[in-house]
Amino acid sequence: MELHVALQKSFGAFSLDVSFTVRGERIGVFGPSGSGKSTLVSLLAGLQQPDNGIIRLDGELLYDSHDATNIPPEQRRIGIVFQHPYLFPHMSVKGNLLYGYKRSAPANRRIDFDSLVAVLQLDHLLSRGVHNLSGGEKQRVAIGRTVLSSPRLLLMDEPLSALDDTLKFQIIDYLKAASEAFRIPYLFISHSLLEMRIMADRVLAASAGRIEAQTTTEDLARSRMGLSPVGYINLLQLAHPRKVDGMSAYAWGGTELLISADGDHPESLFELSSKDIILIKQHPDAISARNLLDCTVSGTFRSGGKVGVELACGDGRLVAEVVQQAACELGIEIGSRLFAAIKASAFRRLG
Amino acid sequence: MPAFTSAEYLAILLSLKVATVATLVSLPFGFGVAYLMTYRQFRGKVALDVAVNLPLTLPPVVIGYILLLLLGQEGFIGQHLLQPLGIRLIFTWKAAVIATAVVGFPLMVRSIRLGMEGVDERLIQVARTLGAGWFDTIVTVIIPLSLRGIAAGSVLMFARGLGEFGATIVVAGNIPGVTQTIPLAIYEYASSPDGDRMALALCLVSVLISVVVLLLHEYLNRRIARAD
Amino acid sequence: MNRVISTLIVVAACLLPIAATAAEINLFVAASMKEVVNELADSYAKQNSGIIFKKNYGASGSLAKQIENGAPADIFISANLEWMEYMKARKLADDKSIATFAYNSLVFAGRPGVKAAGMSDVVRLNRIAIGSPKSVPAGEYAVEAFRKAGIDKQLEKKLVMAKDVRECLLYADRGEVDGAFVYKTDALQVARSARILFTVPQEYYSRVTYPMALTVAGSRKAVAAGFYRFLESADAKAVLARHGFSVK
Repeated sequence: MELHVALQKSFGAFSLDVSFTVRGERIGVFGPSGSGKSTLVSLLAGLQQPDNGIIRLDGELLYDSHDATNIPPEQRRIGIVFQHPYLFPHMSVKGNLLYGYKRSAPANRRIDFDSLVAVLQLDHLLSRGVHNLSGGEKQRVAIGRTVLSSPRLLLMDEPLSALDDTLKFQIIDYLKAASEAFRIPYLFISHSLLEMRIMADRVLAASAGRIEAQTTTEDLARSRMGLSPVGYINLLQLAHPRKVDGMSAYAWGGTELLISADGDHPESLFELSSKDIILIKQHPDAISARNLLDCTVSGTFRSGGKVGVELACGDGRLVAEVVQQAACELGIEIGSRLFAAIKASAFRRLG
Repeated sequence: MPAFTSAEYLAILLSLKVATVATLVSLPFGFGVAYLMTYRQFRGKVALDVAVNLPLTLPPVVIGYILLLLLGQEGFIGQHLLQPLGIRLIFTWKAAVIATAVVGFPLMVRSIRLGMEGVDERLIQVARTLGAGWFDTIVTVIIPLSLRGIAAGSVLMFARGLGEFGATIVVAGNIPGVTQTIPLAIYEYASSPDGDRMALALCLVSVLISVVVLLLHEYLNRRIARAD
Repeated sequence: MNRVISTLIVVAACLLPIAATAAEINLFVAASMKEVVNELADSYAKQNSGIIFKKNYGASGSLAKQIENGAPADIFISANLEWMEYMKARKLADDKSIATFAYNSLVFAGRPGVKAAGMSDVVRLNRIAIGSPKSVPAGEYAVEAFRKAGIDKQLEKKLVMAKDVRECLLYADRGEVDGAFVYKTDALQVARSARILFTVPQEYYSRVTYPMALTVAGSRKAVAAGFYRFLESADAKAVLARHGFSVK
């Protein structure tokens, strides 16, 4: 997918002025609320008209103020998943799911109804009305409805913001499953860096109506490490835990990580802050932290007065942060050997 | 109750006919205007709003008079549009329909607008991005979701139509069997020396019809509320 | 604010004695008599200071019903005999005082271009306005005239019933109808472009009579009786004649 956008739109004191070309399948738009992300979504989908500019998707001109090109929303094939599901209250789940499907040109229908229902686990809901669905079920139906319309581009406008944490990671799994199964390029809009890390590869950083940078989610996360109170969040996808003294042991990087969060699930995503990793030069005799990893420094970076240390431990990678002074004392440079001490309780299970 | 003659039965039937036709004829226009007022921005919107609501504040007699001036032999519409087509409206039941429609129109538009304003704009946007054109969206989203307002507006207009007097009597006259509706018949009886009983009997019929209509309105409202 | 209040008090103080000594006469008069009765009352008030008229004009039936329901009326002038009968039957009018005030005549009014010089010409026209026969006396007389002239069947489909004589004239003025059967006095006063095309011969309809009476309450008031006598005077008849009413 290639999206070229150059748009201006102002209302009152706020003005949106963006210009970017982005390629990829999993694109994030990251920025605080009020940065114009949702306006961008409306403009891309054709729900609002820009003051002037141009929108081109995969070489096709969707909007151009110069020759008055303005493809109406129903012909753009750009689907939206909003923060709230906005299901049609007068239709059943099935009616909602098929709304876009029925209106898509048969030649464009790439997604099979039954396989979508299977991926989003909606079988048992099909004949129900939408009023007595749970919040998560509603959002799944909303996602399914949009995906079934076979859009060329899917805009997800803070689709997880209204959900609590547990539900959020369930929906993330469904989103990832759907995106892998049906290969629909998307723009994932969020103010959450964590969601960005999970859902996007490339990211557009929005601020005050401008796109300030186009980068990778990894670089974005690293650049924000020094400013963020939680530092850099390491994300670890771990599976098949083994019970050890009331803790769970997961295979990782050629060794095992001991984690105190419960390990009832066969597969879990854990977060670990860069601040929770203590670097030690020599192997201590004894240490309270349950994880002591033998690592090699594979890279360093600066972020807001802190030094980020990229550690390689077998095939596992972690980012730790230290202050400049500590970096000097530890003599950190690429290739140097360090021990990383991490408490078992420092890992937090996300989903 | 005194025995009704055919003139009274004709008046009752005519009232129902005029109110029904006026409601049905106004419905697409009322919906159209409500749609424009709710969803579209355009120049002259305020002017349209005022024009539509004018009959609400003008005395019906004035509306009747204006309609007479417009639709009559020398009226702008009457002379240039109706006469070439060979259509005569003044003093026919169709004139009563027009008078009723004009007087009831603001009530209908208001109700439908209220219904439409209750429809979440996001639902309309969702429908559009799912491939529904604006007309498709109207039929599959806006109409079903503003059904309550549409029903309320229609019933209100119908009820108002049953009671329409002032505009009708000017533009349609009070011709028994042709343009004499219940209120006109009541007026005629009430102003004749021995018409009291007949006037009261017709009042009773009027009340009965109104009660039935309002009950129907309530019933529809509940059914729609339950369907939601 | 204080000044306003004190002014009001002074004004009220000035008015009080007048209100107390002024004699009030309540007139309930058929609407078609409005202009002429206004003129009569004004001239009477000029000659007799201290008399204040309260005038209520409307449809004879409405007036009769208002009086029946206790409205303060001293003199009632009806546009037809039935409503006077109605008053008499309910013992609202003073029997002895019931007399004829004036007569009116029925004319056919229309735009100057309309060709109608007599009843037989009317059947050739397309639309004729009359007052609703049940409620408008002029309409009732018109229907009577059609019947006597033997053209009632032919006109049946051509009649447009209006709620009063003024509406009939409005239709005739605007050309919505070819002509209207109205009282001569209304045609003279109200019509703008419509003219009297012919007067309906008296043999076709009963005489249009305006009866007047003192109400039971009015018969006990000397001032009301005084004005009632003035209404019967030659002076009053002259004024009536000037307005197009017949007095004999």
